Amino acid sequence: MSLARVAHFNTRRLTQCRGFAAVSSSNPPPRAGTVGPYQVFDRNVKRMQKDRAATRDGGVRSTTVDYVRDEVADRMIERFLDIKRTFSSVLDLGSGPGHFSKLLELNKTRKAVMIDSSEKTLNRDPDSEFEVEVERIHGDEENLLQIVEANSQEAIVSCLSLHWVNDLPGILVQIKEALKPDGLFLGAMFGGDTLFELRTSLQLAEVEREGGISPHVSPMTDTRDISNLLGRAGFTLLTVDIDEVKVAYPGMWELLEDLSDMGEANAVIGRRNFIHKDTLAAASAIYKEMHGNEDGSIPATFQVIYMIGWKPAPNQPKPLDRGTGKVNLKEIL
Amino acid sequence: MTVVKSAVPRQTPLKRFALHTTSTCASQASVYGKCIVANYTDVQKDMCKEEFAQFKRCLRNAMKRKW
Repeated sequence: MSLARVAHFNTRRLTQCRGFAAVSSSNPPPRAGTVGPYQVFDRNVKRMQKDRAATRDGGVRSTTVDYVRDEVADRMIERFLDIKRTFSSVLDLGSGPGHFSKLLELNKTRKAVMIDSSEKTLNRDPDSEFEVEVERIHGDEENLLQIVEANSQEAIVSCLSLHWVNDLPGILVQIKEALKPDGLFLGAMFGGDTLFELRTSLQLAEVEREGGISPHVSPMTDTRDISNLLGRAGFTLLTVDIDEVKVAYPGMWELLEDLSDMGEANAVIGRRNFIHKDTLAAASAIYKEMHGNEDGSIPATFQVIYMIGWKPAPNQPKPLDRGTGKVNLKEIL
Repeated sequence: MTVVKSAVPRQTPLKRFALHTTSTCASQASVYGKCIVANYTDVQKDMCKEEFAQFKRCLRNAMKRKW
């Protein structure tokens, strides 16, 4: 059996003549003859991970690890409330069970539309937990314009889902297109230094034990890139800022378990589905020695990038031309 | 600690392994970690082989099996 398979693979390799292309077994088949955005994440695996996480132990495990998302949603709603405008409906892209939508109040908006690719996560929490009316749409966040029409939304928000999107420039363009003129986009995504402790510990352990590294923590977007991408997508009046959520865990194992319960396990294309026990033990030891707190716990950093952008409209305030300022800032400050 | 152990008699092997890496063999883990941290900008394969061997010996004894 195994011999036959080897022979089969050999003939295939010969006919395809792709000696240098490294395609791992977890990849979707390469799309021949098409030019698409570079695929970093396996969306299908991510959807399954989230479905599994939301149903594990009847959803209990999933709710106990809501702390990061709830905290970020809380900080995001502050930014939302700062906007002096009421909306008839808000679209929550990659809503999960609705961490952000739950915080919406009737004096700001009447309705929240939640979109998520994981059906189980989307329907985890009952409507009674929401103050506003909710509509749940099960659909792929990456194809927003196939779910909603262009120029149809007053406000689109996204709370911690964009870090699993393959084509980030593309999704930002889609969000802009889906908005009505002068529509609001408010987003929060993991970026930059998120989980850098875990990333470095695993890398050091793998190098020392196995002599090489493989992806365990996703590549993340930098803050500077976000402002460029928002500008490139055509948003105006940009506001981008970063914030950190630091969580202390008893050890690396508890962190890994919680990440998996959040549905945030590794879904990078080309990842190895297996980590040797030696490497894990080594990483746990390194994590503690290198980053550990004095009380014996270990910290995990979640860096969050908040972004606000508006779809251009003729009646929007615009920056004045250079050199038109009449007041010298030196005199004021 | 003992309460946790008796309350959860059936732990998965990985959970037990995790417990041993952080508590039972904490001192060996610490020695290994310090060895890496002392030279973390230039880590080579098997740089801390001896320290890890000690750590692993302890884990094997604790788990009562090889892997």
